[in-house]
Order: sequence, then C-alpha cells, then structure tokens
Amino acid sequence: MEQLKFGPITVKNRLAVKGFNYINKRLGLKEILDDEVFTKVAPTHLGFLSCFGGITFFIFLMQVVTGLLLMIYYIPDVDKAYASVVMITNDIEFGWVVRGLHAWGANLMVITVIIHMGKIYFSGIYKAPREFNWVTGIVLLNLTLGFSFTGYLLPWTQLSYWATVVGTEVPSAVPLVGDTIKILMRGGEDISQVTLSRFFTLHVILLPIATVVLLVLHFMQIRRQGISGPM
Amino acid sequence: MKKEVEIKKIPIEEKKRLIREGKMKWFFPGHVVEQVVICLFIFVIMITLATLFPPHLGSMADPFNTPDHIKPEWYFLASFQLLIIAEKLDFLGAWAPKILGVGMQGVIIGILLMVPFIDRNPDRKYKNRKIAITLGILSVIIAIFLTLWAHFS
Repeated sequence: MEQLKFGPITVKNRLAVKGFNYINKRLGLKEILDDEVFTKVAPTHLGFLSCFGGITFFIFLMQVVTGLLLMIYYIPDVDKAYASVVMITNDIEFGWVVRGLHAWGANLMVITVIIHMGKIYFSGIYKAPREFNWVTGIVLLNLTLGFSFTGYLLPWTQLSYWATVVGTEVPSAVPLVGDTIKILMRGGEDISQVTLSRFFTLHVILLPIATVVLLVLHFMQIRRQGISGPM
Repeated sequence: MKKEVEIKKIPIEEKKRLIREGKMKWFFPGHVVEQVVICLFIFVIMITLATLFPPHLGSMADPFNTPDHIKPEWYFLASFQLLIIAEKLDFLGAWAPKILGVGMQGVIIGILLMVPFIDRNPDRKYKNRKIAITLGILSVIIAIFLTLWAHFS
C-alpha cells in the first residue's frame, strides 16, 4: 500500500498519493516541504516580546489586503480623492471596516515595529553575526514611516494637506540639495495634483516593492543565522 | 565567527532528541498553530478598534485656509519637537535652526544604522552591557518625553 508521510499527517488515499507523486516527480515538492515545514523545528524559549516581528509582518500583510481593497474605490485626484474616501466610508458595503483596519493597521504597525526594535536592542540580538539584519530592520522602519507619511496625504483632508506642507518643508533645510529634494517630493513649489500622484505612486508601488525586497533579505538572514539562543 | 543554529543542518535524530529535552518543538503543527492564534488575536484587536473607534476624517483640504495648529501624527511628534527645539538655536547664527534641526534627524538615523558596529561588545547579558542598556533606556525616555511635549504644547 503506497502512502505519503507529511510530519504527523499520513495520506493513504490512492488518488491523492498518485496525484501528488505525479507533481512531485516534476517539481520535487516533497523535499522542499520536508525541509521547510515538516522536519523543521522551532525554539521553545521564545516569549511574548519575541512575537512582535511576526506580528508586524502579519499587520503588513493585512495592510496589503486592505490597501488593495481601498485602491479599488479610491481616486487619486485632488477634486475626487476626498469624496471617494467619504464614499468608501459611508456607501460601500463594509468600506468603513476596510478603511478602519487600514488606518489602525498603520498606527499599530509603527508600535509593533518599535517594540520589535526595542526587544532586539535590549536583548542584544543585533550583535554578531546579525549586524546586517539590524541594518535591514532600520531601513524597514524608515520604509514603514515612509508608508505612513505618503498614505496620510491620500484622503486629501485639511489635516493631511497641511501635515504634508510642513513635512515636505523639512528636507529643504538640507544644505545645497535641500530645495531640490523639496521640489522633487512636491513636484513643484506647492502641494498639488502632482504631489498627490507622486505620493500615491510611492505608497502603492514603490514603497511596497522596496519593502518586499527588504523583507526577503530580512527573512533570508533569519533562516541563515537562526533564531538567537536564550541569553 | 560562531554560526548559532543552522536548524536545517541538524540531523533528524538530533532534532528528535532536542524535542524530547524540551529545547525545541516541531514547526508543524505546534509552532504554526501558535502563530495562527496570535495573528487571529491581533485581527480581533484591529477589528474591535476599527469598529469602536473609526478613524477620524476631517474636512476636505483647502490650500487657502491654514489651520491654527498643524501637528503631525503621533509617530512623527518626537522628531517634530526636535525641529522646534532647533529653532531656539538661532543665537548661533541664522543658518543654525534649519540645518541643526534636519541634521539631528539624519544623525539619529545614522546612529541607529550603526548600532551593531558601534557596540562591539559580544556579551548579551544585561549586567555586562551597562552603557548600551543605559543609553537605550535614556533614548526611550527622551523619545517619550519629546512626544508628550509636542502633544501637549
């Protein structure tokens, strides 16, 4: 009797075994699944504070899903953006939940990132051989803040407009290139349609791609170096 | 340099021994179930917050009407307060407030990036890392203080 063993699970159904073997011969899935899932072990010494990296990743995934749903109805146009957010909140079925999750997720993600960073710092986990993973993490922290900053403008409210006026004014203090940075961010002297388009592009395309690349680097290093041992 | 645990490279018998001794557990199903439960818990918190405290949506942007108090979101308040403090430094010259204000932000990010290369002490125990722990706690206190200051001013 042919059967397949996946960790604690044994598959005996003839059709399932045959089907899996057909695919396995071509893709070698069994080996990958055994390596990555069924013969893998996890440390038992991890406490509550060790979960915050994973929690941050979960919230990031939530932001991707709710962000996609919001993007279906959101219109990045200075005359229509505010009305589209009002429509999402009031008219679209469950739109208010999706927007609520996205807004709360943004705030919670900053909190969990900071707790994650604090845990890594105070437990000394950034020490050799994990120096570069700390650096990757700091870049991810800045990307998170970049998401918050660009996303805040999108509803085109008084608060978001004027916070962006002040926020994009800050880099103009940098010697020599400051004004260039400011004009590059705003797409001109003032906050306008160009700024909204730029922030929208950053928020939904550029920052997500950069974040995914850095997350892959972050996780690859964890796989390579392992979870740090108890103190 | 010591490579701590190359989990994949441990032979299966060794893994079974570590699990018997309670130092490790199977990733599947134990660890996966644990993670799913934590994620669901976070999801419940987020749904509750979104339902009970829906995010505020003010009035539409009006470029010709400057509001009285412009403050950034809470996570930018500390660095916002640093810019305001830097404005008091104009006795150093007209250049000082702007350049020092934005310079401090850059220096903070630079120091954060360099942490593992500044702190070369390989010991992880609290009692052998007095400077690092003190600086860490001080930074947390200063950040909270600046945030509250900006929030209440």
